[in-house]
Amino acid sequence: MAVFRETVPRDLQGKLMELNWTLVLLLVLLGLAGIGMLYSVAGGSWSPWAFNHATRLGVGLVAMVVIAMFPPRFWMGVSYPAYVVALLLLVLVEVMGVSINGAQRWVDLGPIRVQPSEIMKLAIVFALARYYHDLPTEKVTSISGLLPPLMLIGAPAILVLGQPDLGTTLLLGATGVAVIFMAGLSWWFILVVGGIGLFGMIGVGLYGLENILADYQMDRVRAFTNPDFDPLGINYHPNQAVITLGSGGMTGKGFLEGTQSQLGYLPEMQTDYIFTALGEEFGFVGGIAILAINALIMAQAVAIAISCKSPFLRLLTIGITTTYASYVFINVAMVSRLLPVVGVPLPLISYGGTVVLAVLAGFGLILGAHIHRNAEPPRGAGLFG
Amino acid sequence: MRLWPFRKQVSAKSRSVALPPLAEAAPADMSRLLRIESDETKALDAARSRLRVMGLSLAVGFALLGARAIDIAVLGSADAAPSQRQAQQAIVRGDLFDRTGQVLATTLETHSLYADPSLVWDARETAEALAGVLPDIDVDSLTEDLGGRGRFVWVRRNLTPRQRQAVFSLGLPGLGFRMEPRRVYPRGRLASHIVGYTDRDLQGLAGAERAFDGSLLAGDGRPVALSIDMTVQFHVAEVLAASVAEFQAEAATGIVMDVRTGEIVSMVSLPDFDPNRPSDATPGGRLNRAAQSVYEMGSTFKAFTVAMALENGTATLESGYDATGPLQIGGYQINDYHAENRRLSLTEVFTHSSNIGSSLIALDAGAEAQRGFLGDLRLLERAPIELAESADPLLPRNWGPTETATISYGHGIAVSPIATIAAFAAIANDGVYVRPTLLPVAADETIVGERVMSSESAQTVLDLMRENVLDGSGGYADAPGFQVAGKTGTAEKPTRGGYDSSRLISSFSAVFPYDDPQYAILVLLDEPHGTESTYGYATGGWTAAPAVGEIVSRIAPILGVQRAEDETGERAALVRAALMPEMIP
Repeated sequence: MAVFRETVPRDLQGKLMELNWTLVLLLVLLGLAGIGMLYSVAGGSWSPWAFNHATRLGVGLVAMVVIAMFPPRFWMGVSYPAYVVALLLLVLVEVMGVSINGAQRWVDLGPIRVQPSEIMKLAIVFALARYYHDLPTEKVTSISGLLPPLMLIGAPAILVLGQPDLGTTLLLGATGVAVIFMAGLSWWFILVVGGIGLFGMIGVGLYGLENILADYQMDRVRAFTNPDFDPLGINYHPNQAVITLGSGGMTGKGFLEGTQSQLGYLPEMQTDYIFTALGEEFGFVGGIAILAINALIMAQAVAIAISCKSPFLRLLTIGITTTYASYVFINVAMVSRLLPVVGVPLPLISYGGTVVLAVLAGFGLILGAHIHRNAEPPRGAGLFG
Repeated sequence: MRLWPFRKQVSAKSRSVALPPLAEAAPADMSRLLRIESDETKALDAARSRLRVMGLSLAVGFALLGARAIDIAVLGSADAAPSQRQAQQAIVRGDLFDRTGQVLATTLETHSLYADPSLVWDARETAEALAGVLPDIDVDSLTEDLGGRGRFVWVRRNLTPRQRQAVFSLGLPGLGFRMEPRRVYPRGRLASHIVGYTDRDLQGLAGAERAFDGSLLAGDGRPVALSIDMTVQFHVAEVLAASVAEFQAEAATGIVMDVRTGEIVSMVSLPDFDPNRPSDATPGGRLNRAAQSVYEMGSTFKAFTVAMALENGTATLESGYDATGPLQIGGYQINDYHAENRRLSLTEVFTHSSNIGSSLIALDAGAEAQRGFLGDLRLLERAPIELAESADPLLPRNWGPTETATISYGHGIAVSPIATIAAFAAIANDGVYVRPTLLPVAADETIVGERVMSSESAQTVLDLMRENVLDGSGGYADAPGFQVAGKTGTAEKPTRGGYDSSRLISSFSAVFPYDDPQYAILVLLDEPHGTESTYGYATGGWTAAPAVGEIVSRIAPILGVQRAEDETGERAALVRAALMPEMIP
């Protein structure tokens, strides 16, 4: 029996050979579906969305491959600094942020306007992955081991909650908790905390949701639980979305033939509600195809996480996957009325530059993790090691 | 290309039975190292089992989405169905009627013309042909629309059947019609502010259309009746328009209210607009001055001041007030418009409309009492009527002695006319305040009112108001046989740093008949100008009071108010003498 040790490719050519082309192909497929739908909702036109989307996809795919080439040690080095920068930006939003629609979420940095809470979604995964990479396994469930990650999650969560942005806060919290779980927190601990959480939710239910949520949030919950509540007002959008989605039937009305999509029953069709246009024109089959591609992407990502030897790459991969999965899940659940209205785009299909670039950068890291899956960077190498 | 990221097919199962590749690679003799290695492998295995849990939960999540997709697209989901029904039904909107059954608002099905540019053969030819049938079409912009790449453009909304037939006759490809409901207001301008209007999707935006939006949509097309009487509305509007023309006023408003039920019988605001074309309204035309504007009402408030003092026992009909000279208070000086420069009785304070006397009455009662009483009359809040337009009053920031004095004669506080007339009606309704309403009140309906003053106080103020018409500033408001009782109000418009004595708000608030008050009426003119026949005066007694008199004499018979058999008072005797000279003894 030959002694066989899997190696890490070191030169560029070797790394390119190791690129997970299946994942790249699936991402390109999603992007093409996005271009097609954006072409359709513009009434069969490349402007104003489809052409831009294609350009961004091209730039993003190149960036993705470049990112995948960097060794894990580099990403470990930038983990904590990236977190600190994201946190500072969040504080900056608090101090001198720009308010849009009553929420202070953006900050002007010279020529560009960034949304630090979006950067934090990635930075928190970096910081937690780095933290657990250095932490000995037996300390994961101890108080001294649990306190720092909770603080890492809590600080940005509180800042984002104050913007106010409940949706992103929950997403940050969920991603963080998922990473902690993945790091191997004891099942006992999870059961106890989960039990307390369950009791808390029952308590909230008894106390009455309306005493906790703001009026507009309560209206959204009411609108969600009762489709006939205010059908021309707050429920117009969700109801029209389901009508659009359902009107496609089994195989859809055909490309460029969707009446709901083309006649502007739903405004902002190109962003959060693009999945309904797809459902109308390509029907159940089209919708399921998009879901299936996403499921394959996530299966690939989870498989890559499993194959990683270093905790850092494993947690980084699964953290990014969780964030991506929650985007897809929340968006599709929202447009199909499984969840109340939350403004979340469908990655790579919805129009919007930041999300396309952020998602492809994230998959660049996952592809990098695949290339370097056998690397075993040292643990406890200090803050910038 | 590799379809799965593993170099070797190392499945979960094979890993749990076989030694992991790490151990294979370890030197066999180094047992300590091997133990550490296997510890690490155990941790790795634990972590990987967590990842599988994660993968599984993702799979469950996606299965859920897939099931929902089947639910909606294939089965036609249970909760998607009512939404569809709702969306189709949303166009059913009830009609609006007045209290006598006249139609104020109804919905007509009309046809709207659209085009599918991809089916249009020749954009310019089509546009020119359409312009021949629908003359106000802009050929160039329509040509551009029809030459576009979209699949849908509106050509013209809400066509008449004749126009539709004409378009059919053109026989052009790529054109089509969609049924679109349209809200129509047969009475046009006459009830514009009461009825209001809707947007293109038939959602109420103003007036009753907005106030009763819920009931109009909820009842499967069931109509809503209003308390308005369109015949009364016609006379109020006509007299008001004549007054506006005569005194060249900027604007005017007139309200008639049933004092016992609170029903608004008429509400006119000029300038008005055509609710069939709300977007063509002149600037300010859509403003409902009866509810949406607030004015300093001037001496009208003296009725409230006297009522408050009588009710609090700080004044009686026997009280006297020193009006020999201006009143100094808080660095301000209060003067009388028609200075008598003597002591005045309570009655004289009212009929001579003395600001000094009124201030003294209010100061005797105090700021707290004044605030409490005006609050009971709901003058310190938006009038409690269904209209969304009902405006909040403008109140003084600091309610000290100076404010108490000025508010006593209706300055330093601005309220809407509808709030004023509702408070005024309480005096005529035996001291009981009833909320004004735009909905008719059934004969057997119990009316919930709030007593704000005793019967005696109310009767005394009513007496003073009748006296004011018979022998005071309100003489022109009387209508023979209908015993008008009321109070003039003239306020100067506020301007930068003070008041402008040449720009007035002149009003008259009244109730009739004095014997058994049934209706309250208010007429307000915004910036009237004096004429030759008024000797240049533009005050309430010269401009608004005659309008009230004219309106009452026209509408009282319509409203079924009995003409009094027995006229009392000097003026009535004069009127009778003028009408029947042979009766002079």
